[in-house]
Amino acid sequence: MTPRRRRRAGYAFVAPVAAFLAAVVVFPLGHAFWTSLHRVRGLNATFVGLDNYRRIFGDDAFWHSLAVSAAFTGSAVALHLLLGLGLALVVNELRVGRTALRIVFLTPWMVAPAVGATIWLWLLEPQFGVVNYLLRAAGLISAPVAWLGEPGTAFAAIVAVDVWRGVPFVMLLMIAGLQTIPAEQYEAASMDGAGAAARFRFVTWPNLRYLVVVASTLDLINTIRHYDIIGVMTGGGPAGATEVLPALIYNTAFRGNRLGEAAAIGVALLAIVLALAIVYVRIARPERGEAAR
Amino acid sequence: MQTRPIATTVGALALAALCAGGGAQAQQPIVLQWQTANLTETQYEPVWKQTIAEFEAANPGIKVEPVLVARKDHWTKFVAASQAKKAPCIVSVDLTTAAYNGYLMPLDKFWSAEPADFRKAWSDAMLSAAKWKGQLYGLPIWGGTYAEIYNRDLVVKAGLDPARPPKTFDEYVVWGKKLTGADHWATAVVGGKTDTTTRVLLMWIWANGGEAFNADMTEATFAKDPKALEAIKFYLAFAGKTAIAAPAATTTNYLEQTNLYAQGKIATMRNAYWAIAKVVGDNPAMAGKSFVAPAPANVPNAPTLATVTASSISASCPNPEAAWKFIKFDAGRKWAVARAKVANWMPLRNDLADDPEIKADPMLLQYVKIGQNARSYPLPSPVWAEIAANDIVDAVQKALLAPDKTDEIFRDLDVRVTRKLRDI
Amino acid sequence: MIRPRRARTALLWSIALVAALIALFPFYWMLNTSLKPASEVFVSPPTFFSAHWSLDAYANLFATRSIGRYFVNSLIVAVGSTLLSVFLAALAAYGLTRFFPRGATPFVMFLLFTKMLPETLLIIPYFQLMSDVGLLNTHFALILAYSSFALPFSVWMLIGFFRSIPREIDEAAMMDGATVLQTFVRVVLPLARPGLVAVALFTFLIAWNSYVWALVLTTDASMFVLSVGIANMVGEYRVQWNELMAAAVIAALPVMVLYSLLERHLVTAITAGAVKG
Repeated sequence: MTPRRRRRAGYAFVAPVAAFLAAVVVFPLGHAFWTSLHRVRGLNATFVGLDNYRRIFGDDAFWHSLAVSAAFTGSAVALHLLLGLGLALVVNELRVGRTALRIVFLTPWMVAPAVGATIWLWLLEPQFGVVNYLLRAAGLISAPVAWLGEPGTAFAAIVAVDVWRGVPFVMLLMIAGLQTIPAEQYEAASMDGAGAAARFRFVTWPNLRYLVVVASTLDLINTIRHYDIIGVMTGGGPAGATEVLPALIYNTAFRGNRLGEAAAIGVALLAIVLALAIVYVRIARPERGEAAR
Repeated sequence: MQTRPIATTVGALALAALCAGGGAQAQQPIVLQWQTANLTETQYEPVWKQTIAEFEAANPGIKVEPVLVARKDHWTKFVAASQAKKAPCIVSVDLTTAAYNGYLMPLDKFWSAEPADFRKAWSDAMLSAAKWKGQLYGLPIWGGTYAEIYNRDLVVKAGLDPARPPKTFDEYVVWGKKLTGADHWATAVVGGKTDTTTRVLLMWIWANGGEAFNADMTEATFAKDPKALEAIKFYLAFAGKTAIAAPAATTTNYLEQTNLYAQGKIATMRNAYWAIAKVVGDNPAMAGKSFVAPAPANVPNAPTLATVTASSISASCPNPEAAWKFIKFDAGRKWAVARAKVANWMPLRNDLADDPEIKADPMLLQYVKIGQNARSYPLPSPVWAEIAANDIVDAVQKALLAPDKTDEIFRDLDVRVTRKLRDI
Repeated sequence: MIRPRRARTALLWSIALVAALIALFPFYWMLNTSLKPASEVFVSPPTFFSAHWSLDAYANLFATRSIGRYFVNSLIVAVGSTLLSVFLAALAAYGLTRFFPRGATPFVMFLLFTKMLPETLLIIPYFQLMSDVGLLNTHFALILAYSSFALPFSVWMLIGFFRSIPREIDEAAMMDGATVLQTFVRVVLPLARPGLVAVALFTFLIAWNSYVWALVLTTDASMFVLSVGIANMVGEYRVQWNELMAAAVIAALPVMVLYSLLERHLVTAITAGAVKG
């Protein structure tokens, strides 16, 4: 096939997606950018340039939300990876019942985030919730704990629920990764007298490293946008302890009715995520090696 | 086998068909969409279905299409549709905010065309709750008056007299201490992330003779007005030093509060009549066990708070005359009484005092009486939705978590809210 | 030599069981609540098993709400999104790996970039767009939206997959006289089946559970999907918790069944496609 025909064939394959994205994704994205440059009051939009950005960066609420988002995303992603990898290792080691376990561990991911959050909201209810009941019955606490009522425990609770929901996906990726590690490498390591920890360090980890980078990047981009769980469980409270940036965006857009500022926060969030993703991939890239990409 | 061109053609045809199907609209009958958060309330469903059925029977050529939406997403959906100028014709939303943003149509020309007979059922005070910048943007349909609801059994059990409920703040605390014990409390401080928190807070402020805002809503005076601050501290202390409120105040919203009351965990709650319906629904054993009294107050003639829900016409409605017809119909006596009966929503017409169904319900009468001295809610500011559900709630939550910082917290609130009030 | 291994397996099993308990407990509670009578829902202490378990809530649900209709709508939208997503992702991934190999990574990066804005900001312009082309209240509008969500992951995974299918196979087919399209459809795609299944499962899940787009884009109750139907059950003045949980159980079942049946393909696909890529 001539290079020209190749290119034309290539365009034909990629064109449908490109057209689709242009209509369904690029247009709304562009509109959001455009809105961020306007002061929107209902149906009136006045162009104000970067004024919205100046406002949001000058407001405590933005920096506070950024800090909460950073803490939330950081802890959630770290736990997703740790527990995801841990569970994957456990499942991999157990021969019997492996498929059943995989499906069981996958279930939290299958229910809609809002539904899962509603159930947890209820389980954590101070007076009527099961968690307090069980803890009291086990003698671990003497009075009902208001999990979502105190800033510290509320934050921990939303991270915990996000972890509950988010681990399955990472675990799946890790399971897949573990299955590609050639058995010979493990055998070689055992023959050299390596114990479980050493085997992990010298065989498992180097093989999984790239996948961990990919998984964490995807997870980071997803988790930083998570709002459903927080919206259902705390609404961003108490006293703003769980008000991550998406919550701030939602509140600014639909409670504050300041669509321009909300768009500006969104664009700021996008820039941060983009920067993070680029930096992160850059850092992780050199170790990848020269595999044909 | 050239599958691609065939697939492409089929795809294009399907797309065209779907577009055509999606775009087709009923040409002849006028279709009015009606969106209010209450359409998803189970007890109201039979009433609105009947309202629509009877209206359509009386007005062939007009169809009313209800838009069901979860309460918490009602405004979001309305805004998204309004931005595209495709909002439902008949809506019940935060009137001032919606009017300010240009989402609603002024109704003065419809209103003044109505006969005096129709118009006299609404007092001036009631109408002013539905006005913005002098123009009428909605017809008040129903509301909720707030008062203090007591569980008679628990009150008697604590050795208190149900016929003599507390009248002042201090008397309330006396009752409170007697009604609190191990694992049950007198009341709940509503500090969750909804505007109910603000409603209850305002009531306590007003009951102490304080004001949270200046007369023209350009300044917040939560901390500036000493009586307001005093009331705030007194009320929030229920969850702190005074210890007569259930724990977890920062996550107590309407649902949690009514749950606690329904299960006998709290003996009183500051709420509207509809809360009784909810409580009895949750726990049928609670039927008939409650009595209602005006909220305790330190000044004579302290007003209570009355929410006002009005029906409005969205700015983009292509058939406002038909929409007005439905709004008028829905505001009629029959439906006001029906709503009061099944959902305990207070009628806002002033000509129902003689209605036998209303008279037959002593608690409803009691609420009507209390509601005669009420201030309407929401307060008339376009930024009210945000202030009430975000800023004031945040301040309350912060003060609950750090009571010694209450002064500072509410001073900051004053500054923040004043800035927002002036930034319109 | 055997004892440490036994102890180790026992340890692993205990970890696995604790994790399984945490994963499943909320579902158990969901089921438990859906079977209880309404008056028992808020009893303190809460009941784990009830003598009064019954299917009343489910019966009521079907009688008073169009759960069946919502279910069908969800199915149509989810299946439609899955088909569209698989179609687009397969085309793009194949085109990129075979014709623009160096463009693959930047393209995936671009796709990821498009996902970085929160949904809140996209629903208003999207509503406007759908309204302008007359697609409000249609399954198609939702299908279009949902197909775009899973694209980054799907394209990425299929790129890896197609890369692992040697080019020689393409070339052999084309030497036998097949056109590029025929090669794609009849030779390469079948080899990529696990990858396609994975993409399908992934997209189905996202489409099935999504809420805010359906909230904004549908006004006609006959077009509601399950997630909207469930959200509408949370009234402020009354919430039928057992019915709400029953609806949630019904909503969760299809996904669970689907994943149980096809989970193996998911793992195979990610193994082959994502990891080696």
